[in-house]
Amino acid sequence: MAPFSWRLLKILGVGAALSLVVVACGPGNGTQSNNLAANQTLKFPILGDFGTLDPAQLNAETDSEIAQNVFNGLVKFDNNLNIVPDIASKLPDVSSDGMTYTFTLRQDVTFSNGDKVTSKDVLYSWNRAAAEQGAYAGNLAAIKGYDVVSNNKVTSGAPLEALLEKNDPSVTLSGLTAPDQYTVKVQLSSPAGWFLSAIALEATTGMVVDQNVVKNDFDNWWTKPAEMVGTGAYKMTAYTPKQSVDFQAISNWWGSPKPTVQKVHIDILSNAESAITAYEQGSYDIYGYGGYSNAPIDAILRIQGTANEKNQLLLHPKVRTTWLQFNLVHDAARSAAGPFLLSGGTTAKNLRLAFALAIDKTKLATVVCHDIVCAPATGGLITKGLIGYVGDNTDPLAKFDATQAKQLLTQNDPDGSKTKGLSYAYDPNNPINTTVAQFLQDQWQTNLGVHVDLQPVDHSAFIKGYLSGKYVMARNGWQADYNHPQDWYDNLWGKIPGCPDANCGSGYDNSAYDTLLAKADAEPLQQAIPDYQALGKMLEDDVTYVPLYYSVGAFLLKPYVRGAGTNNFFDYYWDQIQILSH
Amino acid sequence: MATAAAVVAVRPIEPEQASLWSDAWRRLRRNRFALVASIYLLLLVAVALISTVWTPYRMSAVGITETYAPPTAAHLLGSDELGRDILSRLMVGAQVSLIVGVGTQILVLAVGVPIGLLAGYYRGWLDQIVTFIINVFYGIPDLLVAMILVFILGPSLRNIIIAIVATRWMDMARLVRGQAMSLREREFVEAGRAAGARPIKMLFGHILPNALGPIIVQATLGIPAAILFEAFLSFLGVGVQPPTPSWGSMANEGVMAIQYAPHMVIAPSIALSLTLMAFNFLGDGLRDALDPRSRR
Amino acid sequence: MFTRGTLIYIAQRIVLIAFTVVAVSSIVFLGIHRLPGDALLSERLRGSAYQILLHHYGLDQPLYTQYWNFVVGVVTRGDLGESLVNRGLQITPLVLRELGVSAEVGGLALLFTIGLGMVLGVFAAMRQNTWLDYLLTTTSVVGYSMPNFVIAAFLILVFGIWLDNLTGGTFYYQLGGWRGDIGQLWLPAFALGFPYASIVARLTRASMLEVIRQDYIRTARAKGLRESTIIIRHALRNALIPVITILGPLVIGIITGSVVIENFFGIPGLGKEFAQSILNRDYAIVIGVFTMYAAMVGLANLLVDLAYVVIDPRIRY
Repeated sequence: MAPFSWRLLKILGVGAALSLVVVACGPGNGTQSNNLAANQTLKFPILGDFGTLDPAQLNAETDSEIAQNVFNGLVKFDNNLNIVPDIASKLPDVSSDGMTYTFTLRQDVTFSNGDKVTSKDVLYSWNRAAAEQGAYAGNLAAIKGYDVVSNNKVTSGAPLEALLEKNDPSVTLSGLTAPDQYTVKVQLSSPAGWFLSAIALEATTGMVVDQNVVKNDFDNWWTKPAEMVGTGAYKMTAYTPKQSVDFQAISNWWGSPKPTVQKVHIDILSNAESAITAYEQGSYDIYGYGGYSNAPIDAILRIQGTANEKNQLLLHPKVRTTWLQFNLVHDAARSAAGPFLLSGGTTAKNLRLAFALAIDKTKLATVVCHDIVCAPATGGLITKGLIGYVGDNTDPLAKFDATQAKQLLTQNDPDGSKTKGLSYAYDPNNPINTTVAQFLQDQWQTNLGVHVDLQPVDHSAFIKGYLSGKYVMARNGWQADYNHPQDWYDNLWGKIPGCPDANCGSGYDNSAYDTLLAKADAEPLQQAIPDYQALGKMLEDDVTYVPLYYSVGAFLLKPYVRGAGTNNFFDYYWDQIQILSH
Repeated sequence: MATAAAVVAVRPIEPEQASLWSDAWRRLRRNRFALVASIYLLLLVAVALISTVWTPYRMSAVGITETYAPPTAAHLLGSDELGRDILSRLMVGAQVSLIVGVGTQILVLAVGVPIGLLAGYYRGWLDQIVTFIINVFYGIPDLLVAMILVFILGPSLRNIIIAIVATRWMDMARLVRGQAMSLREREFVEAGRAAGARPIKMLFGHILPNALGPIIVQATLGIPAAILFEAFLSFLGVGVQPPTPSWGSMANEGVMAIQYAPHMVIAPSIALSLTLMAFNFLGDGLRDALDPRSRR
Repeated sequence: MFTRGTLIYIAQRIVLIAFTVVAVSSIVFLGIHRLPGDALLSERLRGSAYQILLHHYGLDQPLYTQYWNFVVGVVTRGDLGESLVNRGLQITPLVLRELGVSAEVGGLALLFTIGLGMVLGVFAAMRQNTWLDYLLTTTSVVGYSMPNFVIAAFLILVFGIWLDNLTGGTFYYQLGGWRGDIGQLWLPAFALGFPYASIVARLTRASMLEVIRQDYIRTARAKGLRESTIIIRHALRNALIPVITILGPLVIGIITGSVVIENFFGIPGLGKEFAQSILNRDYAIVIGVFTMYAAMVGLANLLVDLAYVVIDPRIRY
């Protein structure tokens, strides 16, 4: 074979050839624009294609991390998680009874195709989102008339568009009105301190879409660059499914800061290790954006050990807690029985406690995460750093006490018959779940002498299973959407999500919980905090779960990238990023 | 399903049964590769048996040492991502590989041989059906079907074996059918029929023994293919589930951490390769030994 | 060369291929549909929203209705449906695009397999029973005894990382539009093809050994022809036949191997799509990819059989 030049072996990262278009330096704000690179293109990988970019249908982190740069709502969270106006010109006026919110819109907001944004666009977008009943439609649940719209039978396609066009009452939220072109008035059905947080949630149901575009291709408009129209700083210019997607900054954007990065190129890869290697070798500028901040621990250890790379590593707590869920109710809808049911009274509770205390959570964080990508969850299920977090080392279920665990086991299951044949279910799609599962199994074996089988179940079947009480013990987790305890307590326990029957991970429900929760939800946040914390204590006292860890996200940022980063919830917006010359 | 590794030159066996086997044995013994391979395989079986009652450390014991630790005196092959002893897991993994490899072939024999015999001897409608099925599925990549089967049934050792058998029995049936078809024309078969021997006795007493040679070779060469299959399935995440170690899943974990802890991938890769090689050499040796056309 | 008989044979085969494709994809379809709607779930999607999605994809209809719609769609419009995970993504264009990518890598691997395999086999045959022969034979057994992802991992370790200062780049697949170039593809193609090159080498060696002993070779030698001419012009053509025989299984083996290798290297081809879709439970795509594979392999086998006609003039259909 003829020899070939080593040059040929120089393979740049995926998509480098596509994106090396020389573009003039972006306009920028002028304040920090010294030594900006001439080519303001940002390249990063994600490890799986996004499911949808339609705000009414959004439900995954990747979807929203991308879409948040293309769409805007009336208000948004800034980098420090304060709610600030976005399309609205100022924060809304709230009536004294907390039931009416009046928003005044800016008058200079336009879609990327030039259409001006007025209050009727807000109404259209919200009615559409409520009618389509996507995963986050509940963000609008406090608005008067939501019950009617959420029960509407026509939920997609041209028929729904037809109904929306003629303002059919079945798809119109009665509490949502537009007194004039730049005012939106929202009437709630009952006070809800969480309402503003819910609609500030980036890239979801509160975001504004352009009816002129959507009506032509009601379900798939967001898949084609020409139709993917939003009010954000960027618009989609190319999309090859499962391969790559490109965005370009809007010139003369109405918002701020004006974007410096002109082009964003995202490659859709599948393998974290190879993506990180490609980053190290210069094919990407950042890693971890787009909802993939769960870098494998060995890659992180390696980078920490590499002198010229370890400063590129950014570790930041995420708002995600993982815990072990016991199935607490067994009935027609929930098939798993086992020794942990609430109906088993004190014996069952002690057994739950035994299993909880037998796990060394500190060791878990050390062995599984090297104390880097996770920290033991010692302060309740709401992640540390969020409102509603109880306090370090306050959760009795986070303790590790093998002696007491063994004692409880012997007292409550002397012949071992109750804890025979148990299994722990988890979804192996995220590798850390598998590692944690094996760790738990070993802990119970070593500290309790009880053998628990591992039951890996593929992700979507797993979700379906634990929501219908199919597993005696299962992994559970929650990533907060916004900084309000309601996001947790309304979605995980009690009658609102559907407990004790299906659609609820644990089956946990009682009237004390429901009453206190209703009270807390109605109050303004500051007043509600002690009530939410009391709810947390209720869950602890009833030993409803075993807390495991809070997640930490890992990002890699090249030294020439400025302005990239994350708060606990979302990546910083692309319009804040600048590429320095390098 | 067709697999390149199992293409066997098929020739009817001369009916000198007694001396064929001792002949073959003599030839096999002289084949150095096959000999070394057999010794290795015996050792492997021994290790697998020992591991059912003893391993240096409990194979699922987490955190008994630093994670990703390279080999030391206490842990000869180092530790994995959970700080477990790799040597112990490797030993238990041998069980899995042998069970998958040998177990699937036994089942393939149990399914493929009778079907092939009946189809090849009796011809007729049974043969039509069998041939039809084989032709339809001839061109389908077996790993894909196995993946789908495991996907439907759920990943577990039992289902992997089922999936592999379901995709491989056809090769065996086709081989046996061919043998049966050619053997049935032989004089000794006609003689047997004339003497009034019952069909079952014909099939299993006369035809099968004469077809044994290629069948044994095919089965032996099918073992590494099955082990490789399981390694592929594990690599793609639908193999044997944790904490049961299989060499394939250990190799997968090792590959993921290859830049940081290369020792993790080396042990199971070498184990896999040596075992596959040994079975391949043994199968080749058997084929040469049983093939009357090779030089004495 | 292509007589009427051959054309009839081709027609028959195409019918058989079509039948196989329909049969196989039906089995997959019915088997997978035992698990309806699982791909549509997520942590938050509940209750009525889930029912709505089911309806959108027609998954709430009885099985035979779904099946009929599927078959009609494939046969009349070539429409393999819509992805369950990526809303709005049409499967047929996706699969066709990825087929091109896979064909490129697979084709290169096949060339490599046959080329390297035959060269090694010929050399081993020519130097039978010398150390070279044993070395090549042993190497080839090693070759098909190692899983291809292990070969790939070691190659990456050596070329991509340890020798990084020499090569100065990454070996992960770069997209140059429809076609990548050899410099990027050789590593995955090598890992993909090497196990099968070993098999080809062994086969070539065996058949060369047989052919060399034939009378007509002896005659050619007696006539004074040069060794290389004899090998290339006379022996090789006949030794090629067994290689063509296993070409079908070879293609299947490369398709099988590509599922792992494409995943490993991140190559956006059919193999990666298949594995990812199974893991995502996007069974609409699984069925689509599988149908494409069944068609491809059927055609590949047909081409192989036709190749026989070209190579061996004695064969007629």
